[in-house]
Amino acid sequence: MISLSSYLFISLVLFLCGIFVMVARKNIIAILLGIELILNASALNFAAYTKFLNNNLEGHIMSLFIIVIAAAEAAVGLGIVIRFFQLRESIHIDDASTLQN
Amino acid sequence: MNSTVVSYFSQSNEFQNVTNWLTQILGFNASSLVAFIIFAVFSLIIVGAMATIGGLGTYAERKISADLQARIGPNRVGPFGILQFLADGVKMILKEDIVTTNADRFTFNLAPVLCLVGVFATLAVVPYSSGFMLADLNVGIFYLVGMASLVGVGVFLGGYASNSKWSMLGGMRGASQIISYEIPATLSIIAIVLLAGGLSMKTLIDGQGGAPQDWYIFHNPFAFMGFFVYFISALAETNRAPFDLPEAESELVSGYHTEYTGMKFGLFALAEYIEVFVVCGVAVALFLGGYKVPFDLGSGQILVEKLGLDGMLAQNIGQFLELGSFFTKTLLLYYVVIWVRWTLPRLRVDQLMTLCWKYLTPIALVNLIGCAVWMYAFNGKSIFALIFHAAGSAGGH
Amino acid sequence: MFANTLFLASACLTIGGAIAVVYSKNLMHACIYLLASLFGVAGLYTCIGADFLAATQLVVYAGGVVILMLFAIMLTGGTSNKVNRFGLEKIPAMGNKKTFFIASFAAVVSAMIIVKILIPVLKQNPSSALSPNEPTVERLGTLLATDHILAFEISSVLLLGALVGAAVISRPRKEIHD
Repeated sequence: MISLSSYLFISLVLFLCGIFVMVARKNIIAILLGIELILNASALNFAAYTKFLNNNLEGHIMSLFIIVIAAAEAAVGLGIVIRFFQLRESIHIDDASTLQN
Repeated sequence: MNSTVVSYFSQSNEFQNVTNWLTQILGFNASSLVAFIIFAVFSLIIVGAMATIGGLGTYAERKISADLQARIGPNRVGPFGILQFLADGVKMILKEDIVTTNADRFTFNLAPVLCLVGVFATLAVVPYSSGFMLADLNVGIFYLVGMASLVGVGVFLGGYASNSKWSMLGGMRGASQIISYEIPATLSIIAIVLLAGGLSMKTLIDGQGGAPQDWYIFHNPFAFMGFFVYFISALAETNRAPFDLPEAESELVSGYHTEYTGMKFGLFALAEYIEVFVVCGVAVALFLGGYKVPFDLGSGQILVEKLGLDGMLAQNIGQFLELGSFFTKTLLLYYVVIWVRWTLPRLRVDQLMTLCWKYLTPIALVNLIGCAVWMYAFNGKSIFALIFHAAGSAGGH
Repeated sequence: MFANTLFLASACLTIGGAIAVVYSKNLMHACIYLLASLFGVAGLYTCIGADFLAATQLVVYAGGVVILMLFAIMLTGGTSNKVNRFGLEKIPAMGNKKTFFIASFAAVVSAMIIVKILIPVLKQNPSSALSPNEPTVERLGTLLATDHILAFEISSVLLLGALVGAAVISRPRKEIHD
């Protein structure tokens, strides 16, 4: 049951859910939730390939760096969201269109 | 299953007998079934014992505070009022379960459960004795830190879902306090991990000895400071006084559990008292020698040699001595925690954050670097070993 | 037996949590479902012997990211205005039928691309026998401090930059009086 294909399937589902959340939501924080799902899907893929292909732990290192980047991204992203809320009193993504046109 | 209780029991003859007997009856290899049953039974024992300790914690808190304030404290239910916590529990179960209007019902019900799950999950790796530990994960202490941070989520959600200003402020303070003080606590844990060279609880304790000069707290000056940094941060992480700002009763009615009644409030309180026990247990395991008994009595070798006891019996006696050692030290620390609560005044919010970010975190960083330098400079020897070595060589001349 | 049970439970938790994030209309609930999904991923890591990775997942996500998200939701919550600054009606924050349609289209397209990529990978790698799980902490530490030391140091600089940057960005700027 524990096989590469099942892990790839789970990570595919996670990735699709992340894409779906990212596109469908109009709330910036909800979009960040989707990004977390996508990053998790990729980290899971790296770990699964390490286990089932060569077992040399390079994939674990990649997953660790992905987790690091996810943490940094969440911190900076949420900082930007809070700053944006102070300026605009809204976290709707369509209100962040000052640079458009 | 890589669990220490199971591996301890699988040494005995009865385990083999029972396994063979069940294998004959059931027709398949029953060793994993027996292992699972042992594991389940001991999980239940630990959960029950910890719930009792949490309950007795409330009793101890009242009795000790009464003692410190020259009162008598609870004295009606049972001898010395020791059954007071049972009476309280019955009262809490019978109370009406109130959910505030406009409360977020799903989150409101989930919050106490998250708190309790986070605390009970950490119990799996707490080392009670060398044979009585549910699971000896090789990322033990790291797992414990991760699971304990679930409590912060529970506290925050409890405050948010209650739809009350007091709860909201309490939950926000609680969550920010927990994630802030996680940093110095984890840094001082990492310093000890550096000394021991491993993340599993067994490695951490095996690097220490039974006598105080072999403990990591007296290993070097930095570890000595690290113990106090860890203890202060642990006090703050469990929301105990003098850091009980989330439930400061003089400003926020009772913080994040203002709106909780009945057993849900009971779950919050139980989680808090058990978390104090877990945190004290971790402090004992990391700094104060854990379950080690002086003169290596824990392994039972001396008993076999001097008294001529049976090997398994001596080992069992050793286990009980180790349990006694661990629980004595942990409950002493528990007493200190309660003592601190009823002695020191509460901090303000800005003082709390100043203490964490401007004092404890830099000190913890210095401790970490100091431990690393010490390991490099003195080849991992403790300060007592160096002194004895110097004294020995001086006497030799 | 035990590993399979753990795997099934974690997989259900992961997929269920992710789908619940998609369907939840409440941002707070979505965040809790995300937490469940991340815990499921930690369980999946444990199933393939990545113990250190699982613990890191617990520490970083349960202790850090999810609480940060909850904080941000609480600090920005309470504004459910249906119109924007210009008085125009705007799309609800959690999406409506139109955005959901576009999202499902995007998901289907990316699913087709990924499946197209994955099929040859799965064909050339028939599932082999599982190697037994070993402790990874020491090997990971050695790898991080030798082969990947540059990436390790750069990630520490990245984290420091993120820490300072987040603090600077989210601090309310004072009006400049000269």
